[in-house]
Amino acid sequence: MDVKAKKKFYQREGFRVRLILFLVMVIVSLIIVIPYVWMLSNSFKPTKETLVDASHLLPKNPTLDGYRKVLFDSPFFSWLRNSLIITVSDTLIILFTSTILGYLFSRFEFRGRRFLFMMLLFTMMVPAQVTMITKFILIDRIGLYDNLLALIIPAVVSAFGVYLCKQYCDEIPRELLESARIDGAGNFQIYFHIVIPQIRPAIGSLAIFTFLEIWNDYLNPLLYLSSTGKQTLPLALSFFSSQHQTDLSATMAASALIMIPTSIVFIVFQKQFIKGIAMTGMKG
Amino acid sequence: MKRDKHRFLLLVLVPCFSAVFIFLVLPIIGTFLISFMEYNPLRNENTFVGLSNYARMLQDRSFFKAMGNTLLFTFCAVAINIVLALAMATAISQFESNRTRSFFRMMVFLPCIAPMVASAVVWLRSLYEPRGGMFNALRRAFGLEGISWVGDARYLMISVIIFTLWADIGYNVILFSAGIDGIPGDLYDSAKLDGAGRWQLFRNITLPLLGRTTTFILLMTLTSYFQMFAQFQIFAPKEGPQQSGLVMTGYIYKQAFVVKEMGYAAAISMALFVVILIVSAVQQRLGRVDWEY
Repeated sequence: MDVKAKKKFYQREGFRVRLILFLVMVIVSLIIVIPYVWMLSNSFKPTKETLVDASHLLPKNPTLDGYRKVLFDSPFFSWLRNSLIITVSDTLIILFTSTILGYLFSRFEFRGRRFLFMMLLFTMMVPAQVTMITKFILIDRIGLYDNLLALIIPAVVSAFGVYLCKQYCDEIPRELLESARIDGAGNFQIYFHIVIPQIRPAIGSLAIFTFLEIWNDYLNPLLYLSSTGKQTLPLALSFFSSQHQTDLSATMAASALIMIPTSIVFIVFQKQFIKGIAMTGMKG
Repeated sequence: MKRDKHRFLLLVLVPCFSAVFIFLVLPIIGTFLISFMEYNPLRNENTFVGLSNYARMLQDRSFFKAMGNTLLFTFCAVAINIVLALAMATAISQFESNRTRSFFRMMVFLPCIAPMVASAVVWLRSLYEPRGGMFNALRRAFGLEGISWVGDARYLMISVIIFTLWADIGYNVILFSAGIDGIPGDLYDSAKLDGAGRWQLFRNITLPLLGRTTTFILLMTLTSYFQMFAQFQIFAPKEGPQQSGLVMTGYIYKQAFVVKEMGYAAAISMALFVVILIVSAVQQRLGRVDWEY
């Protein structure tokens, strides 16, 4: 076969393979979506209807009762506020420390650099169960138990974030930083005006990862927050669902409401997200 | 110039690494020390008891049950996760239009947006519901009897693994996709001209070039699955039938914060730590992880 014939062969054979793969992925997508559709459908059903037939897809008498119950009969807005305070502050702090440490480990020579960096990476492998006992005692002693700060202060540095940002900073052309230095820019100025814009994709994907991780975290709030008004949404949901075993529509409404903020963050950052990960350490 | 550099280093490193030291390094040492004590946070005096916590652990059936369940869950879920994620990422990468590719990547990532507890509650009430649930409806459609997906010790772990894959695989699909996108396209073009088939392309180009990506993903997934907890709380709130849903995090949590035997809980968590270190050492030896430093 000459080159042209080969190309044609690949195109024809490729079309069939792609068609099959396409159908497979459509089925996969359906499997992924079905539980959400079911969740939304039941969140709009009156409680009675969910008891009779929960699998029926369209609510016969759609109602907002479930949502009303969640929003007004439970401290939903306190939970939402707590989740937002913790997640937003943690994400911002982690973005700052990750980028500046990434820049520092990428561009500065100093004694102990390798040791500190390796120590940081090592902490990624330490499971939360190992640290949680002493961390709990520590937080209890400094009086932060049942305080939102207990979830913010210990989470200020993310090893993954530093690693990710360092990978990006390694790619910044040396001349760019040097010419700024010759122009008399200090290290913080270089960090703000040159490093940050250069590694923007990394910041986007790190923002999404961190936001999702902290918003969805279950173990830490369970450990450090005890009173009902101090809880975060995922934690509150598990109580909510065990208390309202029979009230399916309210439980499903709560589940749906929890997913709104992360969906917004995801939609806003999604382009940067894919691009950001594509250029990280994932270079094959 | 030099002073400026020193000031910058100190201003950044001192606060950041104080936090790392206090909240990440110190607790490891602390837990290690507490594991040799009889420690109750409510008491003022806590006695040193030597190795007795470890001796007790070796005779504790629940400990072995929890360890067994955790290992079973982690190995099965991680193995299936990696294979499926790689398969899906490869499948998605075959589509020519950029739009199609990003659409499917987004779809697969969708469950990762939701908190695991929320998704688990939805699954519990929809797919795993024993009477009207979708899985049992499906089984009945094939003439099989409905089963108790989370109420039966034989099926609980399988149910949790299926759910976890659904809820969490999106991360790895995205990471593998990124790795595949990073492979230069002309490698494939020249192999195609040599007459290589699709499978050969995957076997001889994609797979070997994804080596480092795979090692990284494997390590991250292993450590995170060893710690899985939230979905077990929903599917097996009381450790499940015959403790079939008891995992290490749940057991350590119970010992430390419900029974309040922190010394014993610390000993158990050290045992888990050793297991994780051994597993990741073996994995690194096999996969030769390279942090590109």
